[in-house]
Amino acid sequence: MAGQSDPQLSLFSAEEVEFIAEDEMVEIVPNLRMDALNFVCGDFGPFFPQLATQVPLWLAVALKKRGKCTIRPPQWMTVEKLTQVLEAERDSQRVFEQLPFHYVEISRLLFDHARDDIPDVYMVRSLIEDIRDVRFHKVETNLESLNERAFALKINNLSAMEVNIVRPFVGRALQAFYKHDSPDLIPDQDRVSDRRPQVANNATRRHLRR
Amino acid sequence: MAKYYDIDDIITDEEIVAVIFQKAASGVGIDPSSETDCVEVGSKVELPFWLAHELQQRQAVSMNIPTSFNQNTRLEIQADSACVDLRSQCPYFYEFGCKIAPLVGARNIGPLLLSAFKSRYKEVLTKAHTAAFTAASKNLTILTKEETNLYEAAQSSMAAFKKWRMGGPRFQKASILGRKRKSNE
Repeated sequence: MAGQSDPQLSLFSAEEVEFIAEDEMVEIVPNLRMDALNFVCGDFGPFFPQLATQVPLWLAVALKKRGKCTIRPPQWMTVEKLTQVLEAERDSQRVFEQLPFHYVEISRLLFDHARDDIPDVYMVRSLIEDIRDVRFHKVETNLESLNERAFALKINNLSAMEVNIVRPFVGRALQAFYKHDSPDLIPDQDRVSDRRPQVANNATRRHLRR
Repeated sequence: MAKYYDIDDIITDEEIVAVIFQKAASGVGIDPSSETDCVEVGSKVELPFWLAHELQQRQAVSMNIPTSFNQNTRLEIQADSACVDLRSQCPYFYEFGCKIAPLVGARNIGPLLLSAFKSRYKEVLTKAHTAAFTAASKNLTILTKEETNLYEAAQSSMAAFKKWRMGGPRFQKASILGRKRKSNE
């Protein structure tokens, strides 16, 4: 949880990441007429039958539960697009594909509540699982290349849930590397680092993407 | 100062160090096998680190390299660091090494720690996130406290993610509400 007693972990729980993901906008098709809804975050509506509107995901799920709308799956959630992404993920070893930041959470919410609105739902589901697996393996293989010169890590196109899973581990690993690499512990470090062409200081950032 | 309350730091200080007394000390019963209460100059005694550290600052003792960092362990680590059982030797291997290094004056402890950690880290990483519980238990017994922390952090976050993915109700009913009241006889 965000407010844990152990200050070193400081991670979000999976439910909290899902909560944040529910702010993303999706398109719905209401099946009844409703006046505009006024919320703190904005005004949505008025809703007319068979006219598509953009609403946040939490509102869409709530309306869907009451049977007042159908949710249209987002653009990236088609079988063709996902197959493309999966192929690209499998081809490259270091590059991550461009996917929506919260794709894991959005897909899970839609599978739970709007299963009949997605065409080929089983295919889409298995594709997303495969994409998730491939990306996670990539993260792990790239993390193995972490060595003592790494003070910070930069990975492009990683999604919120993946970041959340590796966050405590990577944080602690970087801390441990930093602690063991301190200059008073290794007296020869100055001599070694002078030979390398350094720009500002000893630390080079480790880019995990070409 | 953040280390003052850190439990791991306190326990690290309890590790035993062999010291050689430079001055005679009277009235201390450190060595239980000796007849008198005095400690002679040049005698070798085993002390906990916190005591040895203080005495060294007063120049009453001089510290030797502890057994966990001697030549045998060094060779083992250079051979295959992933299999060395560091926990039975010294569960706070890395922290202790960091403390000892500036005091004993051996300049090769730092790089030794670093290289050992680097190679063991790879092992921890590959097993941490994905391995089943039974397969990893052999590896677990040889990790130091610091590595175990890393491992458990990864495991718990992975388990939480899996649990979330399984679904289930978002609100959990408090267990106390489910208990039925015992009927009064």
